Amino acid sequence: MPSTVRTKSGIPLKNIYTPEDDPDRDYQRDLGNPGSYPFTRGTRDNPGGGWIQRELSGEGDPLRSNAQFKYLLEMGQTGIDVIGDSPTMSLMDPDHPLAKYVVGTQGVSVCCHNDYRDLLRDIPLDEISISSSAPGMFTVASLYLLAKEGGISPAALRGSVLQWPFYSENCGYAYKMPFDLHLRMSCDVIEFCSREMPRFHGYLEDTYFFSEAGLNAVEEAALGFIEIRHIVRTLLNRGLAIDSFAPRIAILVNCTMDFYEEIAKIRAMRRIFSRMMKEEFGAQDPRSMAVNIACHTSGLSLTSEQPANNIVRGAVQTVALGLAGIQALEISTFDEGFRTPSEEAHRVGLRTQQIVDLETNITKVQDPFGGSWFMESLTDEVEGKILALVEEIESRGDPAELVTSGYFRQFFEGTMSRHHQQMSAGEITKVGLNVHKIPEEEDTLLRDVSEVKIEPYRQRADDIAAFKLSRDQAGVNESLLRVHNTVQSPGKNIMEGVINAVQIGATMGEVIGVMRQASGEPYDPYGHLRSPIEDLL
Amino acid sequence: MKNIRVLIGILGMDQHEVAAVGIAKMLRDHGMEVIYAGCFNTPETLFQSAIEEDVDVIGISSHSWEYLYYLPELMELLAAEEEPVPVVVGGSVVTAKDAQELTAIGVAAVYGSGASDGEIIDSIKELADR
Repeated sequence: MPSTVRTKSGIPLKNIYTPEDDPDRDYQRDLGNPGSYPFTRGTRDNPGGGWIQRELSGEGDPLRSNAQFKYLLEMGQTGIDVIGDSPTMSLMDPDHPLAKYVVGTQGVSVCCHNDYRDLLRDIPLDEISISSSAPGMFTVASLYLLAKEGGISPAALRGSVLQWPFYSENCGYAYKMPFDLHLRMSCDVIEFCSREMPRFHGYLEDTYFFSEAGLNAVEEAALGFIEIRHIVRTLLNRGLAIDSFAPRIAILVNCTMDFYEEIAKIRAMRRIFSRMMKEEFGAQDPRSMAVNIACHTSGLSLTSEQPANNIVRGAVQTVALGLAGIQALEISTFDEGFRTPSEEAHRVGLRTQQIVDLETNITKVQDPFGGSWFMESLTDEVEGKILALVEEIESRGDPAELVTSGYFRQFFEGTMSRHHQQMSAGEITKVGLNVHKIPEEEDTLLRDVSEVKIEPYRQRADDIAAFKLSRDQAGVNESLLRVHNTVQSPGKNIMEGVINAVQIGATMGEVIGVMRQASGEPYDPYGHLRSPIEDLL
Repeated sequence: MKNIRVLIGILGMDQHEVAAVGIAKMLRDHGMEVIYAGCFNTPETLFQSAIEEDVDVIGISSHSWEYLYYLPELMELLAAEEEPVPVVVGGSVVTAKDAQELTAIGVAAVYGSGASDGEIIDSIKELADR
């Protein structure tokens, strides 16, 4: 009897696979060795195995987060992965009235170059890769300045910043700015990095955050490729050569509990990317065709119930990713149903990665699923569905117009609702949540750690307000005016002006505010603040 | 009988919307009118919307600890009204201890991540009928 089990994307899983399921395989055309086109089996030949092991961190003020990084590095972390608190992620300074109860509670509060100095104090920037989820333009500006201040060539910097002009406004990271401006910021950062910081990934396509809106693997990848393709086209239209920036495009993917499908997704994404770059965009450098894939395991896959079970989920996902082959990983920690990760949970996340890497030999054989009748047919099916969905969505109109017309917002509302329905109907099984529940009073294991809260850093608002008063305000205003005028000059890269502004002490909120103003939008979309250059315009 | 009207919103800088959107749709599917206030609300904006829209229940979805600070403010604004609109709160971050504190300041119901659609619907109906 045929099985009725399906992957989350709806692909039927058979109980057994045979050669008939994978009849027309051409090894060189479809797979290739790891490190060879079309890179299905891996971005690079990586005989040592392994990946950059890190945990998403950042809490409180920059110095507290700096101590956190040092702790994680001591525990054996091999890269830094930092996220801003919600005001930072929304390009808002900590002294904004809406920030008051959330400064530093869900990430680190950073808003100026001094903050980045504290954040990365004593970190050898030419040795450690810095992956930042904090706003890309400002992270790059400060990393560039920090390298120069430390006597390091910016060309030696490694790491990445996320770019999310398409989906951020509708799905968790609203910048409250026009799409055209956000897209331009992203492209300016990418262009700047490919010129000044060639080892640094100025473009990490983040499919993780929006896929947490209940998307399946096919939808996640499809929306990711729509954004990648649009950004690449925009950069080519600026006159850039594909091989000047494509080697530093990377993708941050999600990993849910759908074990096989997640492996197939990563394999399919590598193949789609390489063919897109070579066949569609004419890349000639093999590095342009080989996409680095990093992963953040799914927070949505975790439960608040019986938090210890989340350790197992993280481990299973890590095994899947070890088998798929990835370049970097951070595990959503066991306490994330409740809180920003605790020190204990961070350590467990890191230890999970280390155990899979060092104790199991899983990573010692590259792409061990390669040639499996099952995995190859699943990879083909996932790939086919991704390409079909990309085509279906792109046939609806110019992707940029789909963003501004609200198509993607509707798309996300649909997937969020579907997720709720699937959970309610028990179509998604969650041990401890909708099956195998235990009474609340018995659910005590790891609760003590999970339920501790981080107090908002109220002091930060006063500190930043005082910092603002201590600056050379005329110089700051002049630099802000320059950013404003650059935004109003089409074709000019904003990065240089932003670097100048943050160097002189302008904050993220101020720089973004005047950029909004230059686009005809309010300086403060929340209506509380007045622009420092209001009288100069 | 008039439809039950529910205001659903998220407070502060929290932008985790999956549950809020999912619950809003579910309540609509069960015949309720949902005014979806989305993200970036303050107690004042939610209070104003609740009055203007004449809702029967306010539902707060939360995946950030901001609700602990904002809810007392919201409850205070509502308490000044002749017939305060009942408030319910949902979210995986709400611990049992938080739920007790919320109840103590007058929050009518707290739903954890394990709450079923049926429980939520029944509880909102009961509150709206009061």
